[in-house]
Amino acid sequence: MRKLKWLAVIPVMIGLAACSSSPKASSESSSAAPAAAPQQQLKPVDPATVGEITGVVKFDGAVPHPRMIRMGQDPVCQKANHDKPVYFQDGEVNSNHTLPYVFVYVKKGAGQYDWTPPSEPVVLDQKGCMYEPHVMGVMVGQQFKVINSDPTTHNIHPMPADNRAWNESQPPGAPPITKTWARPEVMVPVKCNEHPWMRCYIGVTKSPLYAVTGDDGTFTIQGVPPGTYTLGFWTATFGTQEQQVTVPPKGTAKVTVTFKAS
Amino acid sequence: MPELPSPDPVQHRSLAGWYMIAALLLLTVFAWALFDEVIGLRPWKSYQARFKVEYAKYLRKQITQQRAQQQKIENSPEYLALAQKAAALKKQAQPEIEKINSQIAVLNAQFDAILHIHTTRQQYVASNIYIVEYTKSAKRKKELLTKLARYEKQISTIRMPEAGGKTRLVHYNYRQLMDAFNQNSDQKSALYEKEGNLMAPASDAEKKAKAYLADHLTGPNVTALQGLLAGNRRMSIRIRQFYNGKAGIVDRCESCHIGILQPIKLTKADMGGNLLFISHPDMELLKIHDPVIFGCSPCHAGNGMYAESVKAAHGFREDWTWPLFSKSDLDAGCQECHAKDMVVDHAPVLNEGKFLFEWRGCEGCHAHAGYDQSPGEIRTTQREITSLEKQRNQDALDVQRSNHLGDIAATNAEAQADYLHAQSLQVSMSKISMRIDHDTQDVHWLMMDEKMVGPDLKEIRAELNKRWIPVWLHNPHAFDPTTRMPNFPFRPGDVKAISAFLWRDAIHMQAPQQPPGDPVKGKQLFRTRGCMACHAVGYGKNAAGGWFGPNLTRVGEKMNYDYLVRWIHNPRQRLEPYCPALGRDLTPADYQKAGLPFVFGLHHDTFEGHALQVEQETVMPNLRLTLKSAQDIASYLITLKEKDPSSYSPAPYMSDPKLAAKGKKLLQFYGCSGCHEIAGFENAQKIGTELTAEGSKPLELFAFSRFLEDAERGRDGWAFTRASWFEHKLKDPEIFDQGMIRTAGEQLHMPNFHLKPEEINALTTFLLGSQTPRFPKNMMYDPSGPAKDIQQGWWIIKKYNCEGCHQFTLGQSTALMTLPWFQTPNGKGDLPPRLLTEGARVNPNWLANFLANPALSDTDVHRDGVRTYLPVRMPTFYLSPIEIRKLVRFFEAMSHQPMPYIPRPVKPLTPDQLAMARALFVSPAAPCLKCHAIGVPAHDKFATAPNFLLARKRLKPDWVRHWIMNPALIDPGTAMPSGLFKEQDGLEVFSGPVPPALAHYKGDEVNLIVRYLFELTPEEQQRLIQMSGKMLMPAPATTSQLERPQSPDARSAAYVGTLVASH
Repeated sequence: MRKLKWLAVIPVMIGLAACSSSPKASSESSSAAPAAAPQQQLKPVDPATVGEITGVVKFDGAVPHPRMIRMGQDPVCQKANHDKPVYFQDGEVNSNHTLPYVFVYVKKGAGQYDWTPPSEPVVLDQKGCMYEPHVMGVMVGQQFKVINSDPTTHNIHPMPADNRAWNESQPPGAPPITKTWARPEVMVPVKCNEHPWMRCYIGVTKSPLYAVTGDDGTFTIQGVPPGTYTLGFWTATFGTQEQQVTVPPKGTAKVTVTFKAS
Repeated sequence: MPELPSPDPVQHRSLAGWYMIAALLLLTVFAWALFDEVIGLRPWKSYQARFKVEYAKYLRKQITQQRAQQQKIENSPEYLALAQKAAALKKQAQPEIEKINSQIAVLNAQFDAILHIHTTRQQYVASNIYIVEYTKSAKRKKELLTKLARYEKQISTIRMPEAGGKTRLVHYNYRQLMDAFNQNSDQKSALYEKEGNLMAPASDAEKKAKAYLADHLTGPNVTALQGLLAGNRRMSIRIRQFYNGKAGIVDRCESCHIGILQPIKLTKADMGGNLLFISHPDMELLKIHDPVIFGCSPCHAGNGMYAESVKAAHGFREDWTWPLFSKSDLDAGCQECHAKDMVVDHAPVLNEGKFLFEWRGCEGCHAHAGYDQSPGEIRTTQREITSLEKQRNQDALDVQRSNHLGDIAATNAEAQADYLHAQSLQVSMSKISMRIDHDTQDVHWLMMDEKMVGPDLKEIRAELNKRWIPVWLHNPHAFDPTTRMPNFPFRPGDVKAISAFLWRDAIHMQAPQQPPGDPVKGKQLFRTRGCMACHAVGYGKNAAGGWFGPNLTRVGEKMNYDYLVRWIHNPRQRLEPYCPALGRDLTPADYQKAGLPFVFGLHHDTFEGHALQVEQETVMPNLRLTLKSAQDIASYLITLKEKDPSSYSPAPYMSDPKLAAKGKKLLQFYGCSGCHEIAGFENAQKIGTELTAEGSKPLELFAFSRFLEDAERGRDGWAFTRASWFEHKLKDPEIFDQGMIRTAGEQLHMPNFHLKPEEINALTTFLLGSQTPRFPKNMMYDPSGPAKDIQQGWWIIKKYNCEGCHQFTLGQSTALMTLPWFQTPNGKGDLPPRLLTEGARVNPNWLANFLANPALSDTDVHRDGVRTYLPVRMPTFYLSPIEIRKLVRFFEAMSHQPMPYIPRPVKPLTPDQLAMARALFVSPAAPCLKCHAIGVPAHDKFATAPNFLLARKRLKPDWVRHWIMNPALIDPGTAMPSGLFKEQDGLEVFSGPVPPALAHYKGDEVNLIVRYLFELTPEEQQRLIQMSGKMLMPAPATTSQLERPQSPDARSAAYVGTLVASH
């Protein structure tokens, strides 16, 4: 019996040895690698089923006083406008109580389509010391061309939050400046430091589904695949809005939004 | 029954059982030892084995990926073009090269054929010449020479290989043999050179193709990866350690963290989700802290020598003083060596903690080496003055002695030596005298730089609403949830007593009466002058403005209007100067007694030989406002209140002398003078524990009191660590008094700062890192030269909140940038300048002047000296020359500029060049004068850039050149456009239509402009203005009525001009 008692010690010792220094794996293997999200297959747009979105952006409230631009700082600019009055476009209201220069775009719902930017560039002209157009859209990756039709030097200074910033001088007669935008951003304000009244806005979008309202407040977005979308409406001074819209196959969705005086 | 023989006690006793037990025990112990050897005490063995597998897997995957990528690049048309060109060139050169190669082959064969015989014969001749040289007998010499001559004439016959596999027999005497051999070598080198030249175009093209591949391949190339894979295969499983004997570092961390130094970045995902095997996440840090010298534990702590278990190696044992820093406290590891820095790169949490320690006023009660610099420096300087004076007295005696010795010297030579010694002592005394003057000045200057966290409480009678004081003291956070003033654990009656004392001993004087101002104008000034870089109005979501200074949402409830005007007009003004020598403020009566007018200030800072503190010890600067503007702003601020100041209950007890006496004791107990100037407490000691080495205080010395058990068992969010103690203490400073019986004066009295969790974490990190240095001095970061200048500069930048307005590094945000009106496209242009390259931009001497007087004028002070057009104004900080010197050096060092600055001479323009530069400047295509101020008020209203006249004194010509060429590279986002000039044949030329005057200019046009700017005079500028004439001037009708609006949100209206009026 005494022998057995001794023997009993052995497994205990082995056990102790094993416990005292058992290696602990310190790996945290539980959280898996952020496996690259499976690349979502982009669908081509079927041109046979596309419809369109049309609408009007109305304005409610007291029409702000048009503000005239004084270009005395650069006599060339004054001369270019033949000394005729020029007004700030931000805050402008059409005579039919609608808003011009509203950037209307598909904010959500078009991400699953394969949109390739057109080969023709979006052109921004500097004419009479004003930007033409005042509000424009451009697709990610699309050529963006800036020309100077004025006999004075301008500088084009976009102030994006999410895209690369730049600020380039463009003397009269200089070749066009061509750039592209890599990331969607609504909106990129552009200014000219030499003519501080000059201002335009660029809406950079992934799809070509955008439009800018005209002097009757209407807009049309064509080539919209059937489906439900969130439309975004951007204005320079009256804020932004959103609206849901459903486009039937080959059909037209109509939208009306109203901005209130700020 | 036969009787059994009784067993023989020797023969029959068996020890087999015991032997078996012993054998089994031995076997077990052996097994145990084996187990520990392989697994138990060597956990790193299994880790390394697993790492090898994972790493090989990862590398193979990478190789496949990189190979695919490489192939994609190799198939790109650009690469193919390069590769094809290389191949074509190679092919073109090939026939010629082959020809040369065959020639070389023949030469090589000939060389082999000739080599043996050549060597033998050459050695024979050489050894015989040696014998001749050492032979003394002339006859013998002659004999030997004759023999040698005969030998040289002997003919060797060699079978010489020839082109086309043929051979030819040649017969050479010794000379011919030598020539043939040398010729062979010469011919070969010539052929090799020719071959190299022929191959050069092809190999250049190949290099280009390879470079293209390398430039376009992201990540390591396949060959490198294969090398790593081979290395991994060869890797043996063994202990790995960094050993630095001098520093006592033995870190075996790499034995388990085996991927840590791999040359490619390994993430958790790469290594099969195993965090243990990642490479060091910040390789930049390792570049400046070579692990071979630093190891791991100096930064991470832990117990690097013990690789036997995770717990032991990480130092998570009570007996180990340096447990591994946790992820949230990681930056603590920087502090030990970087104790002298205010800002440490790569350590944002530590930086926050270091800043909070100063800004929150921790240092008011707790000493910490590195902080509290100016009082320390004052003491050191005063000591130095005393010892220098002693030295000077000693020297004076020695001069007399030496001169006397000279007078009585025996020889002229001795006398001359004695006189010379006396003279040199006199020179050294003069130096000492000048040094004493300098130090005395330094003491005054150091007093200029002394600042306190809280306001001066000597002036509360003039400053504050009396009734508000006890309400505030009782619960500052209830009045202002953002205040830096903490809530004290007062006992009932304490507030009354302290209020009474403060009121009794405050100065009985009032600020001069002020007429009311215009609060509407005041609000606009407040929003635009830069006040909001430090001060906010509103709380939480409604808050707008900075956090550095007090929140002003309810300032109208506490402040007296007259005092507020005075404060805004110049916050450094005091009611009475403080005299350290006398230990009290000087009153008008003191001045009267001395027969002096009661005048003190920066130019009157001594009284009867004593240095005075003539400034308020606040960091708030002087914005150089007119008195009218100060009245306007004060009138606006006084409207900021939630309730009427008179609605506070009266506090008659504040005039009770008995209470005041009690209050004085309490004030001492709570350490109020750590942050405030209080009469009678100017030299009070700090009341808290010194924290310089708090992080290495043994854990047992931290009084966990009744939470000890919780801590040891890890319950309720407690842990038995320093970090846990600090965190709980900072969150609730009285927590360790819970459940304790404490009489008044015994209780814990650290106030509650209502710190946010991230602030608690930052301070904890800082405290954990505050350790007694373990490592040799050369490992501490105590740099000299530019690195020291940067180190010292940050203290000043942080002290005055320069970052409230200026960006010093890209990505840093300023308080002003967060304000909505500075985020509009026009508002951005109204932000104070970014100082990314200030040291390279401005002349340091100019900068010193500007920092001392940002108006750059003694008369026209209510404006900024450089950017006269900005509504925000660079204030006057009354920096002492000591701080100015540090700041200037900081900027120079940040921009890698050598000190001292010696301006590069700018070559004057010839009259021709002057005319051309002028023409370029006023050309309608050149936009310079559209934005830059020119000193014509009508034009400067629209200016958005400084006057060129400043350039000569202010700027460095090299910077100006780079700036004009491409400003976006120096200051991304600047209003100054790029592309004004373009490169053409190595010269910079104007991008627009060039004025006729420059049509034939063949030089660098940027150079022309730089030189022009550096010789621009006011007269020349006048001339420019006249030349550009109408181009600059707004129509005259508008100029007189135009008033540049001061608010940035109204800036766009400025461009509308008077048209608003014409409506």
